Amino acid sequence: MFDIKHIKERFLRILLLFLVSVYLFAVDATLKIEKDVEQRTRIAIVDASAIQSSAFFKILLSDFKISGHFLADSIHHNGDLNSNYLLPILKSKEYVLKYALIEHAGAKLIVRLLKASDSTEVFKKTYAIPTKDKIAFLAHKAISDVNDVLKYTDISWINRYVVFSRYTKPRHSEIVLADYTFNYKKVIISGGLNLFPKWADAAQKSFYYSAYSGLMPTLYKINIYTGAKEKIVTSEGMLVCSDVNKNGSKLLLTMAPQGQADIFEWDIATRNKTQITKFNGIDVSGKYVDDESRIVFVSNRLGYANIFKKAIHSGTVSQVVYHGKNNNAVDAFADKIVYSSRESKNSSGTHTFNLYLTSSMDSLTRPLTTTGANQFPRFSTDGSVIQFIKHRGRGSSIGYTNLASHQSLLFPLSGKKIQSIDW
Amino acid sequence: MIQKSLLLTAATLTLLLSACSQKAPNIPDAQAGKNNVSDVTQIADKTVSISENTYGNENINNGKDGTNTNKYNSSSNGFQSIYFGFGDYGISTGMDNNIAKNSNIVSNTPGKIKIEGNCDEFGTDEYNYALGLKRAKAVKDSIVAQGVNAGKMVIISYGESNPVCSNPTDGCYAQNRRVDLRLVK
Repeated sequence: MFDIKHIKERFLRILLLFLVSVYLFAVDATLKIEKDVEQRTRIAIVDASAIQSSAFFKILLSDFKISGHFLADSIHHNGDLNSNYLLPILKSKEYVLKYALIEHAGAKLIVRLLKASDSTEVFKKTYAIPTKDKIAFLAHKAISDVNDVLKYTDISWINRYVVFSRYTKPRHSEIVLADYTFNYKKVIISGGLNLFPKWADAAQKSFYYSAYSGLMPTLYKINIYTGAKEKIVTSEGMLVCSDVNKNGSKLLLTMAPQGQADIFEWDIATRNKTQITKFNGIDVSGKYVDDESRIVFVSNRLGYANIFKKAIHSGTVSQVVYHGKNNNAVDAFADKIVYSSRESKNSSGTHTFNLYLTSSMDSLTRPLTTTGANQFPRFSTDGSVIQFIKHRGRGSSIGYTNLASHQSLLFPLSGKKIQSIDW
Repeated sequence: MIQKSLLLTAATLTLLLSACSQKAPNIPDAQAGKNNVSDVTQIADKTVSISENTYGNENINNGKDGTNTNKYNSSSNGFQSIYFGFGDYGISTGMDNNIAKNSNIVSNTPGKIKIEGNCDEFGTDEYNYALGLKRAKAVKDSIVAQGVNAGKMVIISYGESNPVCSNPTDGCYAQNRRVDLRLVK
């Protein structure tokens, strides 16, 4: 006959085991909080500056939005910085960020983060920079710190420089530094034909670039703080640094020592090059993938530009993408691959280029964009966000897509067309 | 005994599920109320601005040296530009006369010749620099096939950096898909 007592005890054991599992999951979840859409932290921003700037307010909003962790109120509230009084309407939020921006010789930003329920101050900090042109970085640093204080996953990428090149007139270009919103821009190298900038180190002290003066292109490395310039290599025909390994000791170069462009790995210390691809057509844009044991690259070996993968030290090349008529831009992070694919002409007669995310480990692919010509995909240093350039009609924007929250931001781009960009 | 276990379980369940709700975590009191002055020193460090206007010693006249009679020719010194289809780098039969004329000039010129590959604006510039180089190499190989010494020629690609026109028309794109030749000075 049934032993009721035994069945009940067994049920309790299973129930307790389930509860312990739930508890352990909850503990793991608090160590690294990723918020889904419905549970992003609701936050309002209160401006206590003597002279208020809607442009600066919008930078704060953008930082909150692209983090994927906050639902920021878009209303530009005013208030007193030091008072703990909060308007009743703000009490529906979880946090309120009060700030005061003071611009004098340089700029100073004071922020206070208060709990909306009881005005408890949970964070206060002052930031200062000696020149006003970098004011956007004050906002980025403050929001990055607020994010850290609330123990959300790191978003420090918003503090980083973007470096890009743009043509100024035929066979002339300039290389420019910017913040991720392009509010800050500064020309670093002007004059001549200097292209394809690529950060040399995680600290962003130097970048590589190709100089096309004279008969042969030359790869240089320049320190953005001292201006010190180091010649790396010269190669007939073309020379581009497409990737740098994690410790900065090796580069992936597209070079053409015999007039035929292939991908090489360049050892900085020994100045030796290892040829990775050998193909009589076009192989370009090599990017490290799979712990730097392989590269993905663009090749026309099937008669049109497509994405392929190859181990650095073995000969087999495998196709990565099986759709699209022209896939001519690629970037990689760990095993994630993003590429730009040319698609059918739209109603206005122009081709669309859409971004797709796939993996080196499987063929699962999902689109990241649906309209416009989306090019220059670039992963952030932590692989969580993809930067890209979108051309639509007569306008262009720099865009960012947060892969976890699926949120995107676009910032208008003015001026000359971007030639190459790194982040 | 079992009832006590059930009650204990229910109490535990209540506590754990309330802890699992995704409210923002409480911040330790030690961090509240700090008033740190922080210089964003790395970002604030002054970066350089460099002018590299030494480039431009070459005569970049894009065919305006008076030696060209062809309206769409952007080569110099009597050379004829070679034009290509979209994405192509093969020499079409329609360009054979231009190749022959260029080969003749190279043979009779003492100096070095620079062969410059160019592209329209479609695609990434890195791909276009490689495509431009393929075009330049195709022209060089065609001239070598006429019996000219390969060492007299140097090839370089300018990708999409050197358009002769900027209108968004098929005619303009076709003019930009070209190889130019000129004497090295």
